[in-house]
This record gives sequence, C-alpha cells and structure tokens, in this order.
Amino acid sequence: MNAERKTGEIELVNLTKRYGETVAVAGVNLTIPHGSYCCLLGPSGCGKTTILRMIAGHETPTSGDIRIGGSSVVGQPPVRRGTAMMFQSYALFPHLSVLDNVAFPLKMRGLDRDRRHAAAREILSKVGLERFAERLPAQLSGGQQQRVALARSLITNPRVLLLDEPLSALDEYLRLRMRGELRRIQREFGITFIHVTHTQLEAIAVADMLVVMDQGRIEQASGPREIFDQPRSPYVARFIGGQNVLGGIVESVADDITLLKGDQGARFAIRTNGSRPALGSRLYFAIRRDRVSLSRAVENETSSTIPNFVRGTVHAIEYQGSYVKVTVDVPGLEEFVANVSDGAYFVDPLEIGQPVLANWKMEDVHRLEGDEQASTAQPRLETALS
Amino acid sequence: MSGWRRLAKLQPQIISWLEVGPLALILLLFFGVPMLIVLGVSFFDYGRVQMIPAFIFDNYIELFTSSLTLRLYLTTLKYVVIVWAVTLVIGFTVAYFLVFHVRSLLWQIGLFLLCTVPFWTSNIIRMISWIPFLGRHGVFNQALMAVGLIHQPLSFLLFSDFAVIVAYVHLNTLFMIVPIFNSMARIDPSLLEAASDAGAGRLRVVREIVLPLSKTGIALGSIFVITLVMGDFFVVKVMSGGQSSTVVSALSTEIASLQYPPAAASSVILVVIVALIVSAILRLVDVRKELTG
Repeated sequence: MNAERKTGEIELVNLTKRYGETVAVAGVNLTIPHGSYCCLLGPSGCGKTTILRMIAGHETPTSGDIRIGGSSVVGQPPVRRGTAMMFQSYALFPHLSVLDNVAFPLKMRGLDRDRRHAAAREILSKVGLERFAERLPAQLSGGQQQRVALARSLITNPRVLLLDEPLSALDEYLRLRMRGELRRIQREFGITFIHVTHTQLEAIAVADMLVVMDQGRIEQASGPREIFDQPRSPYVARFIGGQNVLGGIVESVADDITLLKGDQGARFAIRTNGSRPALGSRLYFAIRRDRVSLSRAVENETSSTIPNFVRGTVHAIEYQGSYVKVTVDVPGLEEFVANVSDGAYFVDPLEIGQPVLANWKMEDVHRLEGDEQASTAQPRLETALS
Repeated sequence: MSGWRRLAKLQPQIISWLEVGPLALILLLFFGVPMLIVLGVSFFDYGRVQMIPAFIFDNYIELFTSSLTLRLYLTTLKYVVIVWAVTLVIGFTVAYFLVFHVRSLLWQIGLFLLCTVPFWTSNIIRMISWIPFLGRHGVFNQALMAVGLIHQPLSFLLFSDFAVIVAYVHLNTLFMIVPIFNSMARIDPSLLEAASDAGAGRLRVVREIVLPLSKTGIALGSIFVITLVMGDFFVVKVMSGGQSSTVVSALSTEIASLQYPPAAASSVILVVIVALIVSAILRLVDVRKELTG
C-alpha cells in the first residue's frame, strides 16, 4: 500500500495490559529488530499471547505504546499495521475453499476475482499446496491446514507475521518439519516473525531472539545461545532447562573466587569476576547438566569439604540416545540432573539407588542474578490469561 | 438376564429400527392416518350439514377457479414474507449479540429466558393484552400523545395488518433466535478475528463469515416461522379484528359451517404448498450439517 516499504521493527514501550485487577502484561519494554525471528517464551498465563494480540490489534493496551517501523500503531485496525496473524487453531474459514481462504485478505482489499486467485495460486505453490486449491479446509490434514493458514497470512506481504503457538496442534514429526519450514519462509520473505510458544526447544531451534517471560514481565531477552548458556536468573535457568540451579551462603571471598556453603553442607567455589559479594549473602549459580560428571561414591568419604562436589543417590536413569539422563537425589535440592554421554556412561553403568558423587569444574559454573524469592519460585504452569 | 443378552446380540439394524419404532408408530397413527382421511374427504360431496361419500373433483375445481383462493394466498404470503424478514433480522441480531457479545454463560441463559417470556401465558391472554396496549386509547397512543409526537391517536395500530404482524413477530421471533443461536455458537470466535485481521470491517465479517456459517440455523428458523405463520388463524382473527383473512382462517370458517370436504381440499393444497416451500429451503441449505454437528 505504501510506496516505500516500511520496516518491520517493533518497539514496545512500557506496554501494560490489565484485566480488572489482573495484570497480564506489566510495563514491557522491548525492541525487535526488522527481519528477525523472535520467540516469546513462557508458561501459559505469562502474558506472551496478550503481547502478540496487542501487536496484532486484537487487544487494546491499557497503557504504553506499540511502534512498528517507527510509528505508533495503537488504535489502528490490524490491516493498517502491516501485520498478519496466524492463529493457534489456524482459523481457516470452513465454508471457503483453500483458494478462497488464501485469497480472502485480497478480496477484502478489493482485488477482483481473477487477480486474487492468481496471487493465491502463486503463494499456494510456494507452500506446496496448489493441488489442494479447490478443497475445503476440513479435507486437509493438520499440517496442510497450517500451511494454508501461513499462505493466507503471507499473501498481503505483511512486514510482521505474528504466530500464536503455531506448532502446538501438530504431532511431533510434523512439528519438527514445520518449524524448519517456518524458519525457511521467514528467511525467504525477510520479514519479522514473532512466534509465541511455551516449548523451550522449539524456541531455541528457530529464534534469532528469545524473550523469556514470567508473570507479565520479561525475564531475559537475547539470543538463544546466550539464554541457554548464560541464563540471567534462576527462573530462566530452570525454565529453559538443561541447567542445575544451586545456591549457597557466601562464606569467604578471596581474589575473584567466592566460596559458598550449600544448605546441606556442600561447598561450592564460583568465580565472581570483579564484584565482591557480601559475606553471609545468598548467591545462586547454574551448572549445565552435561558439564556434571558422576562417579561412584565410596562410603565414609569426606568429600563434602571439597568444593563443587555433591553427594547423592541415583534416582532415575533415562537413556536418550546420544546421552544418558541421570537424575540424582541430592538432599536439599529439588532436582539435580547429570547428562552423561552414552560412550562414557556405558563403560561403567550405574544402578538406581547407587550412591554417587557429582562434581564439576569451576569454569563451567555460571552465576545467576536474582534474589532469594525469585529463585525459590518454580516456573508457574497455571493456566490463567492466555 | 438371558433375554437382555439376546437383545444385545441383535443386529445393529434391528436395534435402530427399535429406536425409531415408537415415534414412527405415533406419527403414522396420529399424523399419517388423519392426513389420508383428510385427503379422502377432500373428494367427498357435501350437503347442508352432511358429507356424502363420493369421488368428485368439485372441491378442487371450485378452489382453483375461485378468485378468493388467490386473494387468500396473497394475504397469507404477505404476512409470511414480512414476518419472516422481520424475525430474521431480529433473530439474527439477537443471536449475534448473545453469542459474540455476552461472554458469561449465566447471562446468556438469563437473556434467553427473557426471550421466552411471551410463552409464559396462554395465546388468548397474549392476544387480548395487545388491545389495551395498541388500541385507540391504549397505552402506546397515550404515551406518544403525552410526549407530543402525535396529536391524534393512531388508528392503524390495532385491528390492522400492522397489528397482525406485530403479534406474529412477537410470537415467532424466538423460533428464529434459537436455531440461529445454535449454529452461531459453533463458530470459532477466532474466525472473526482472522477475518478482521485479513482486513474485513465489522459488516464485512458478518456478511462473509457469520452469515454463511449460520445458514443452517437461518434455514431451520425460517422453516419454523413460515410454517407457523402459514398454519395460524387465531392471530389473524383477533388482531385484524376480522378484517383480513388468510388461507387457514378461511378454512376455519368453512369448518365452523360444517363444510368439511371443501375445507379438506383447501388444507390438502396448503400442505402441498408448505411442503414445497420447506423442501425448497432444504434444497438451498443442507440442514443435516446442523443436526450432525
């Protein structure tokens, strides 16, 4: 519609949404660069879908601003924003053929039948569905329906595509294929994708930018590798997974190494580059599951004084193909998992109930921010506003 | 015990016959047989007070050659078309409001009950209560005059076509609301959002999405309203003050004067016409979709 194509950079400024007393989105500030694939990730009720719907124009912010390509879009209808939304249930019109479904946005823009059908056929061929043009949506499989929904949302050349849990209705195999497909299409069209999901692996796999949310707030927003490797808070570390979260009271600080005393007497040594934590304060850190090594514990061993060793018993063993997930019951910890590579594991397999020692290198420890309260809270999975 | 087990082993086909059996029997006895009797009587001859068994076509010939028949059907059709159009508009908007704007189920049920208020009392009471409301010195005229909108009481309000249509709409709108509500309630609300996301304005959403997807409900409601209006004589009699007559009110006059054979012939033709209208509606819209959900 505009001669010059506006960019799909999205800026959320102090964005807030309240439903009566409930705060769904609490003053979010975020900039999503043009042409990036951004995933909003969080448990249900964290406000991620509300943010998506506010960007789409299906929900009005209580306060704050939404800017797309530099100009505020609050109060504009969806069609003026240059956004298109793909709904969780696909929302295909059951009484229209696949072709008419895809051509629908062009019909609303006043294109005549021949031109809109030609455009619809072209985009259907891009998603490999031109053979099904005359069918009704109900005659297609879930994966095909989703591609029709995708074609329908892309036909108007939006600058931003908003995807609400796009893969949740598909089976595992299709989900993996479609997420690759989505990524490919995003690259091909070069537009901004915002993808809402509660599945961590899905988000890590597709996103350039990952926004982890909790209770209407952004916990962390950065690249997937950074989020996975350097989670900011205990919440992010627990939610993304792949990490063990531990904490302790600062016992001594020497040079840049801080010694912590864990709840059950274990000692942890972590690097606190530069900063000097106060003695007696509580610090949290994360250690990746695949950086933990396990060994059989010997009775009466006085290992608890050596830093970065914890003692426990094997609680569960899950073979995962390339690695073995060993859950260790450590007194005082909610969960402690070591992912041992299959080669190393099967040299000396463990049994359930076996006492083990887990240890890790100090370099692998990642210090977390956050106060005591935030870290004791588990990721909430209640269903509230979605 | 063994009897039940044997029953359970019956062919599914027999079981489904057993399921429809009772209703089929009732329909056959109390609907099919009387219809056949009416059909038979329509060929009878008749005297002043008695029927004379015969097989003559006089009743039909008279019916088709009399100009009165056409006039009666035109009056009936006029009522049917106007009442259908008004109940459709009201029914569609009320159903739309109930489905898409009333979010809480409790409110939906409450407002639904409100729609059934006209049925809380008998038809006669309902009709009679229009008289003090719409009459020359009725509440409505008094109110309009008090506000100063009119200086003379409106006389077309009661005992007129207007009164007949008001009463029909009042009686029959519910039969339009319920089936349309049912089919609208099945529309996924995200379809409406998807349409507005695609650039459709409010009216466009209704026309392109809601209307086609409520087609079955509209068809069912139309069948109810059309058959009810076509088969009524009471409302016309009371509300028109005897000034207009429809097919059925003329028929009831014939019955009152014991002229059964011509009344039978007239009702056979009416049944055929109603059946044609209903089958035309069913041909336009596949109502089975609604029933199988």
